[in-house]
Amino acid sequence: MILKGQKRKLDPEDGEAADMSSPTWESQRQFVFSVSLNKYQRGQELPEPSLRRSVLIANTLRQIALEKHGESPPPPDSALMSGEPATPPTNRGQSEDEDWGSVESDFSLSAAISSILTALDSTIDGGPQAAPRTPLRSVENLPESAGDAAKPGYVNDVSMEDLFQEVDASLLGRVGYPAEEELICYLPPFSSASSNFREAFELEHLMEILVES
Amino acid sequence: MAGPGGDMQWCFSQVKGAIDDDVAEADIISTVEFNHTGELLATGDKGGRVVIFQQEVENKNLPQFRSEYNVYSTFQSHEPEFDYLKSLEIEEKINKIRWLPQKNAAQFLLSTNDKTIKLWKISERDKRPEGYNLKEEDGRYRDPNTITALRVPVLIPMDLMVEASPRRVFSNAHTYHINSISVNSDYETYLSADDLRINLWNLEITDRSFSILKHNLRNFIYEDPSGHSWSPSSSLPVFEEPENPSNRSFFSEIISSISDVKFSHNGRYMMTRDYLSVKIWDLSMENRPVETYQVHEYLRSKLCSLYENDCIFDKFECCWNGNDSVVMTGSYNNFFRMFERGQRRDATLEASRENSKPLQVLKPRKVCTGGKRKKDEISVDSLDFNKKILHTAWHPQDNIIAVATTNNLYIFQDKVN
Repeated sequence: MILKGQKRKLDPEDGEAADMSSPTWESQRQFVFSVSLNKYQRGQELPEPSLRRSVLIANTLRQIALEKHGESPPPPDSALMSGEPATPPTNRGQSEDEDWGSVESDFSLSAAISSILTALDSTIDGGPQAAPRTPLRSVENLPESAGDAAKPGYVNDVSMEDLFQEVDASLLGRVGYPAEEELICYLPPFSSASSNFREAFELEHLMEILVES
Repeated sequence: MAGPGGDMQWCFSQVKGAIDDDVAEADIISTVEFNHTGELLATGDKGGRVVIFQQEVENKNLPQFRSEYNVYSTFQSHEPEFDYLKSLEIEEKINKIRWLPQKNAAQFLLSTNDKTIKLWKISERDKRPEGYNLKEEDGRYRDPNTITALRVPVLIPMDLMVEASPRRVFSNAHTYHINSISVNSDYETYLSADDLRINLWNLEITDRSFSILKHNLRNFIYEDPSGHSWSPSSSLPVFEEPENPSNRSFFSEIISSISDVKFSHNGRYMMTRDYLSVKIWDLSMENRPVETYQVHEYLRSKLCSLYENDCIFDKFECCWNGNDSVVMTGSYNNFFRMFERGQRRDATLEASRENSKPLQVLKPRKVCTGGKRKKDEISVDSLDFNKKILHTAWHPQDNIIAVATTNNLYIFQDKVN
């Protein structure tokens, strides 16, 4: 079996837990990231993307983003990047939603990607520790994990399909904008991460958006 | 499995399908299913056809008892359709066939493609009426004025004809692709599932179903088409094994994704198939499986390239034997694996034209994972990942198995049987 474009003597996946800082690990992560992005984009171009496949690829992307963020040095203009929350951890409640809502209109790409990943997130059965997610404003009829009983089933399906259509694949590869950084910035937190990490991640999001606006 | 003293020895019995190496797309087998007695074996293919084989029961008292499966009925179950709203073609590929328990002379099965489930009645006709008053033998109508006497038509024997007729069509209930169906033993209801939802149908009613959204299963909300919903007071058990941190990789989630679930015949256990392993769960214990079998652990170091070429998304099925002592699942290179639960023994066998002499005993295969390759072993890099055995079925009572390669159906049986 020939590996396209790359011959590896090492098997980077053996003992990966031990050696996450090696260049092989980094190059593999890059490789998996670009392959995943490719697959995801091509999948969305199909008239009927496979839900299982899209979810698995999106979660792999998120996994990579999570690990990358765990390692990357903090940007200089953000005091909150140290990994510890400057403010006490809050639940993802109404106030954060409103923060998102106020800058959302300026960042249709981020909203689209986040909403896709949130939509996929709410589609699949989250882990036992998954906190219930408040849907983003742009996606009003996403079901919550409990209690959205009255809606006819098809509305949920249609809204998720709409979300699939929303992402213009060409936006993801904008010239002059490193796609990977962009995607990592806008990925919502991994649902089973520890709450400290998750809070830091969320605060980081807000900082990025506010700094740019 | 090979060995002295009563162990199972699998022999080639039959192979169905084209000998050509050039596989016609429509001939790709997409599902295999024995009926409840094992007398009938149904296959579905990418071209939307169902082929049913029937076991010719030779004298069971003879030594070297061989049961041969011959074609019983072939029919076009699904045709390609065009969804005008979404502007896409709906594949006619048969994703699943499920037999209904037999209640009368006719057989019934459910077959489904991505969007539509059909209930088929398969009935035999071995007599035909003759001696109509108003019709000639060739079907032309007779002038009533020419009739002087009446006679009663009689049924005369004819060559056996097997007819398949669609009795119900269940459609428009799935937005995503239907990947499985399951019949209730009450013979009245069945479930159909896609990636997102499970629908509960009554076999008599085609215009509506009850819908359960899978991501709501934890809180278990039912919804019926009128919008009314309710949930029971207790929630479902969740079978989940904590992840082994030393095995964690980018692909951990993908390879833990379950591609098939099968209950044991005795109803006590459940088997799940994920990309690299088969796990057996005791239904009364949710926190970990009671048994785990590695199907092709040598692929763990190849996950990156298997992700790239999409093989990592292959959905392998699994099955139990009649008394739940052995489980079977497919792999690549036309290999399939069997795990004897009590004996803690496993075997790797191959379905190939080269080993297709009548009653030829299958030789166990071995994949060499590193170091010096022994004779008859095959190295991981030489495996053909286009030759995958996704669909396998085990006769409900006997040691007869049906194994589907891309476009061929192999039938093997235990030598001792």
